[in-house]
Amino acid sequence: MEALGLSLLFGGGFGLLLQRSRFCFFCVTRDFIDARDARGLLGILAALAIGTLGYHLVFGLFLPDPGTGRLPPDAHIGPVSWVLALAAFVFGVGMSLSGSCISAHLYRLGEGALASLIALVGVLIGFGVGFATWNSLYLAGIDQAPVLWLPGLIGYGGSATVQLLGLALIAAVLMRWHQPRQTSNQSTMSFAQALLRQRWPTYVGGLLIGALAVMAYLRVAPLGVTAELGSIARTAGDQFGLLPQRLQGLDSFSGCATAVKNAILSQNGAFISALVLAAFASALIAGDFSAQRVSVGKALGQLSGGILMGWGAMTALGCTVGTLLSGIMAAAVSGWVFAVFCLLGLWLSWRIKRRVVRSLA
Amino acid sequence: MISVSTTARRFGAALALSLTAGLAQANSDVLVSTDWLAGELDRDDLRVIEVSVNPGQFERGHIPGAVNLRWHTDLVDTVSRDIVSQENFQALLREAGINNDTDIVLYGDTNNWFAAWGAWIFEIYGVDNVRLLDGGRNKWEAEGRALSPRQTNYAAGDITVAAADNSIRAFLPDVVDVARRDDPSTQLVDIRSAAEYEGRIIAPDGVAELAVRAGHIPSAVNVSWGQAVNEDGTFKSADELRALYADAGVDGSQPVITYCRIGERSSHTWFALSKILGYDVKNYDGSWTEYGNSVGVPVTNLAGTVWGGQ
Repeated sequence: MEALGLSLLFGGGFGLLLQRSRFCFFCVTRDFIDARDARGLLGILAALAIGTLGYHLVFGLFLPDPGTGRLPPDAHIGPVSWVLALAAFVFGVGMSLSGSCISAHLYRLGEGALASLIALVGVLIGFGVGFATWNSLYLAGIDQAPVLWLPGLIGYGGSATVQLLGLALIAAVLMRWHQPRQTSNQSTMSFAQALLRQRWPTYVGGLLIGALAVMAYLRVAPLGVTAELGSIARTAGDQFGLLPQRLQGLDSFSGCATAVKNAILSQNGAFISALVLAAFASALIAGDFSAQRVSVGKALGQLSGGILMGWGAMTALGCTVGTLLSGIMAAAVSGWVFAVFCLLGLWLSWRIKRRVVRSLA
Repeated sequence: MISVSTTARRFGAALALSLTAGLAQANSDVLVSTDWLAGELDRDDLRVIEVSVNPGQFERGHIPGAVNLRWHTDLVDTVSRDIVSQENFQALLREAGINNDTDIVLYGDTNNWFAAWGAWIFEIYGVDNVRLLDGGRNKWEAEGRALSPRQTNYAAGDITVAAADNSIRAFLPDVVDVARRDDPSTQLVDIRSAAEYEGRIIAPDGVAELAVRAGHIPSAVNVSWGQAVNEDGTFKSADELRALYADAGVDGSQPVITYCRIGERSSHTWFALSKILGYDVKNYDGSWTEYGNSVGVPVTNLAGTVWGGQ
C-alpha cells in the first residue's frame, strides 16, 4: 500500500514536471534539428547528470561492492544487442511520425490532446506485435547478449566520472552548435505567473526530474511509463489467446516488465494515472488545456507512430523514460545504446518526413 | 489510599504478567518475538539474517544490522540441483561475521517461507543456535518498527559448520518407498493448496517451475501451510498445532516427510512439526517439481487429469 501511495505521488510529480517544463524528448530534439535551439536537449542532460549522481549514491547503499557480478535490484540495466539498437531506431521513427514519445503523449493527454489517445492505442497494438515477435528475437539476439553495467566494469567512482564527463562533452558540443535567440523580456512577470502560467525552462524540469528519478528508485522503482501499457496489452492478448504461450526470458529482465495483470491498480498504473491527472491540473491552471480536434491524416500518423513506439518499447524493455533516462542514470550501456539509435531513427525519419511534406506543398 | 494501592497492585500484576509473557516468547528455543528482537539488536553476539523471495526488498530496508542471504544463489548449489555445499555455506556465514557462539535469528518475507527453508539448511549443517523471528518481515513491518537501507560489514567470523546431516532431508527414493507402501511407517504431509493436492492444477498461477503430472504422492495428507499460522503470520501455539496435525492423522508417533512444490513452503511446516512440536520430520526439497516429473512413480490424482494437467 505504501508503494502504491508513493507511486501516486511520484507519478503526479513527474506529470507536473513534464507538463510545466515541456519535457518532451521529440520536441526538444526537433527544436535542435530545425532551429539549432539546444536548450531542451541540455535540460535532458541536466536530468541525466543529477540522476547519475543520485543513482550512484543509492547503488553504494544497495550493493556496496559493484564488482561481484551482481546487479543492483530493479535498476533498468538490459542486454545490449542488435535487437536493442533496432528497437530504439524504430522507436525514434515512431516518435517523429506521431510527434511525441510515450511519456509526452501521456502529459499531452492531460493537456487535452485527443490525438495522443490515438497514439496510445497504437502503442497498445505495438506492444501486442512486440509480444508476437519477442520469442524469435529473444533467441536470435537477446538471450546471449551481454548485460553491461559500467560500475561492474570500472567501479562506482570510475562509472560516475565517465558518465559525467560524457554528458559534459555532449553538452559542450550542443552549446557550440546552439544558436542563441532573443527571448522576450520577462522582468515584468510576477513570480506566480512564472511558476504557474509560463513554461519553465527545460533544465529546471530536468534537474527536478533527475532528483525525482533518484527518489523513485530509492523507494519504489525506477521511472518508467510503459510497464502498465504493456501489462494491459499482455492481459488483453492473453484473454483473447493472441499471445505466445510463453514469453521466453521476458520476466527475468529488469526493465519496464510487463506482467499479466492481477490487480486493477498496479504501481505503474497508479504512477501513470497520477501523471496524466497532474498534467491535466497543471495545464488547466496554466491555461494550456484545450481539447484539440484531430484530422484523419494526423490520426493516421498518430496511430502508425504509436504502433512503432509500442513495438520498440516492448522489444527494448522500455522507452525514452524507462530505458533511456532510467538506464543511463543507472550507468547501463543499454541506456546509451538506446539513446544513440533512437536519436538516429528520429533524425533520419524527421528529415525524410519534412522533405516529403515540402515536396507535397 | 485503598484505591491507589489496588491500582498499584493491578499494575504490578499486569507488569509481571507481561514480563513473563515476554520472557516466555523470548525464551523459546526456536522462535523469537519482534518485541524481543527489537531490544537485542545492539548485541555483538547476535546476527540477524534476512532470507526473502522478493529482490530489492532487503536493499530498500531491513532490520538494522541484518545480513542478506539470497536463497536462489547463496543457499543453493549453482551447478547441481542441490542445497549449498558445506564449504560455500561456511564461507558465507564467516563473511557474515558469524562465530560458533553467535546467536542467529532468521526472518524473511512471504510468511518466513524461505527463512524457514534457511533454518532447515542451518540445521542440516549442524548450526544449532538458530531461531526464527515469529511473524517474519510482515509482522516487523506491520508493527511500524525501524528498517534501515544501510548495509553492515562485519569482520569475518570463524564458525565451523559440520558435514551435511541428511537425516532431516528426504530424497526421491525415500518418498517412493512411502508411496509404494514399502515404508508404511512414514507419513507424508503435502502442504500445497487443495487444488494442487487434488490434481486440478499443476501449480499456482504465475510460477515457472512445473511438473508433467498433477496430483499428490499416494498416502499423503493435505494440510496447507497457512493453517499453521495466526492472522499476523506468527505460528499457532504448540497445542493448536498438535491438534491441527492430529486431525489429519499426524500425531508424531511415526516419522513424517513434508513436501510442496520446490520445498520452501514445506520447510515452514517442517519447522512447525520438527522444531515446535519435536516430531521426527524430514523435508523433501525435490518436492512436486521432482516427483511429478519422475518416470515410474505412482501418483494419486483425484481430479482425473493425466498428462500436463489435462
